[in-house]
Amino acid sequence: MLTDVFTLPQPDKEKRLRDELNALVSHHRQSCPPYARIMDALGVRDEAATVAELPWLPVRLFKTKKLVSVPDDQVIRVLTSSGTTGEVSRIHLDREAAASQSRMLARTLATVLGPRRLPMLVVDRPGVVGDRRSYSARGAGALGMVNFGRDHRWLLDADDRPDVEALRAFLDQHGREPFLIFGFTFMVWSYLYEVAREHGLDLSQGILVHSGGWKKLADRAVDNTEFRRRLGADTGLTRIHNFYGMVEQIGTVFLEGPEGGSLYCPDFADVIVRDPVTWQEVPVGTPGVIEVLSTLPTSYPGHVLLTEDLGVVHGVDDGHWPGKRFSVLGRLPRAEARGCSDTFQGGTP
Amino acid sequence: MTLRMRFPAGGDVSVADLLAPDGAEPLAVGDPRMVDFLTTVAKRLLTPALARRHPELGSLGFFLRRRELLGALERLHGTLGSDTLVFPRGRVFHVPPANVDTIFVYSWALSALAGNTNVVRVSPRSAEAADAVLEVLNASLAEADPVVARTQLMVTYGHDEAVTAQLSATSDLRVLWGGDRAVENLRRHPLAPAARDLTFPDRSSFAMLSVTGWVAASPQRRRDAANAFANDAYWFDQAACSSPRTIFLVGAAEPAEEVRAEFVALLDDVVRERGWDVDAAMAVEKRVGAYGLAADGGVQRMVFHRNALATLELAEVSATPRHWLGAGTFPFVTVPDLAELVPFVRRRDQTLTHFGFDRDELMALASRLGGRGVDRIVPFGAALTFAPVWDGHDLLREFVRLVTVND
Repeated sequence: MLTDVFTLPQPDKEKRLRDELNALVSHHRQSCPPYARIMDALGVRDEAATVAELPWLPVRLFKTKKLVSVPDDQVIRVLTSSGTTGEVSRIHLDREAAASQSRMLARTLATVLGPRRLPMLVVDRPGVVGDRRSYSARGAGALGMVNFGRDHRWLLDADDRPDVEALRAFLDQHGREPFLIFGFTFMVWSYLYEVAREHGLDLSQGILVHSGGWKKLADRAVDNTEFRRRLGADTGLTRIHNFYGMVEQIGTVFLEGPEGGSLYCPDFADVIVRDPVTWQEVPVGTPGVIEVLSTLPTSYPGHVLLTEDLGVVHGVDDGHWPGKRFSVLGRLPRAEARGCSDTFQGGTP
Repeated sequence: MTLRMRFPAGGDVSVADLLAPDGAEPLAVGDPRMVDFLTTVAKRLLTPALARRHPELGSLGFFLRRRELLGALERLHGTLGSDTLVFPRGRVFHVPPANVDTIFVYSWALSALAGNTNVVRVSPRSAEAADAVLEVLNASLAEADPVVARTQLMVTYGHDEAVTAQLSATSDLRVLWGGDRAVENLRRHPLAPAARDLTFPDRSSFAMLSVTGWVAASPQRRRDAANAFANDAYWFDQAACSSPRTIFLVGAAEPAEEVRAEFVALLDDVVRERGWDVDAAMAVEKRVGAYGLAADGGVQRMVFHRNALATLELAEVSATPRHWLGAGTFPFVTVPDLAELVPFVRRRDQTLTHFGFDRDELMALASRLGGRGVDRIVPFGAALTFAPVWDGHDLLREFVRLVTVND
């Protein structure tokens, strides 16, 4: 497996990221007045001496504020996330940021997919990719990925039912050479895995790239290990790569290594896990809140973001690829206050 | 279309059953049978074990003591001329906020004291304190006149528009709590032509601290002030309608800065001593709130002292937010005198808590506001103390009808 984005040992990466991210802090301060006001109010003055000292924004701020570092007329695409509470993030991309995010996503995925486009099976329905100027997270995920495949086959029909005959036809045509499978973790399990097992289909030449979390599968006692084991045992699919990414840092994916179990950071990105009380970086092996750093966000100040996910770093420079290896442990439970005022707007009481 | 009976406790009932006429003799304003019942409830609420578990129930217990109830009735009668008779309004439908705090009990109790037949919708998401109240109410029924159980009804049902519509259509007064959106949603259901709404929409509340008053106060009084303020702010995660949010420092800029520093240090001590904390998600929520306010401009400096305490220095009064920024987030703004607040105040502003001002200053401010906004001006520590005059309404008066007789 050749890679050109999982190369830097942690000390080298941190040095490079520190300088590039410091430069991005000052770039966004100059170009995004709301961001500048936040930095001013925080009293951020000097450049950060380490990546851990870089000022972060809470990722949900993109759901409440318009944060963009290029003039409106240069925005070519606005990405939106799905919102659980009606709020959606709005991420503004200009030509350059859009190009670099797809380029870096391609280079990241080429590590596991190889340089050529493979025949591609999408565990979704074609309709999920809609209007090209504004996408849902699911649509954006699928749309971002379809560029990495060819001869696409969508597994689900318009009612989200798996089309077994279509799957069989795809495998008859492409199943004896490497092919790409993409989908959300839960959908891969419910539709592809269960259908393939039931019909005895051979997925051994597939390379699965999946994302979306384990919460829905936890009810069925399926974690990453079980997911990999069962797919391998029942369908022959062993090349499986989970990834962690978010619309607020589009183009940056933290990719599961071939050995399974750990996510790795590409050279232009990193994670820091923070103690939820002191907000200091925690040592390897201690769970905390995940901060994601990436040099890709140039058109909006999404370069250093505190997520609402919990995670743990398993090791540094000791895995299949250099840098930090980590896992995502789940979501921070949403804060709730008691009271009688405007915090409760959820319709009829 | 069934409802779960919470008071009197029981199984499921239909709306038709709930609204069925019971043939009982109606209650009068200040009916002794109701006064007795509420007094029994008060005694049970004031049991030390219960008050320890839910301090807010202790305050409710005080409010429902016989002396308080009779005092409220006396005040009502004192406002009426000799040619005026007072009667219950009839059937009152109460829709308290989604996560019930004890306020709904206050408004129900006053309505019951006024002799009304009440139907209270207790949210399915009601909090522990509400369940404790319901237990007390049910336990007190044994000693009560049967008329109480026949006329005072508390039910829980889900998002059933048909039930809400029917209860609305058959009520003489509808009491709506829970924010602008909730009020708007509920108002889509028509009332009978002669009926009316009493609404408690979104409110915003603030604290004001006199710089000279602070400087003149003893160290002990300053500590007490910080303590009282902390109760006001932290008890309901700073999210109750009367919880103070922004703190106006009133006085000269230079001493104001010292006062702020000392006040924040004392507040920090209180928070630490009480062991108050917020969870990680709330800590993040607070960053979203504070950073968002800073993004809009007007925040000169923000400091996250600990998860439970964040302070923001605002450039000017106009930068003052009216929305919630998360539990334990305190914007500060310095103004030379109280007159500066007058143009700022709006209809939705409810409670001003104060420290270090004298009565004349407070009365002068209230007069200048002219009723445009701010319904209560109360000392630090009294923000959450419910009063029979709330949101500008004399509740007992709202719950009755007047009949005049002239010869």
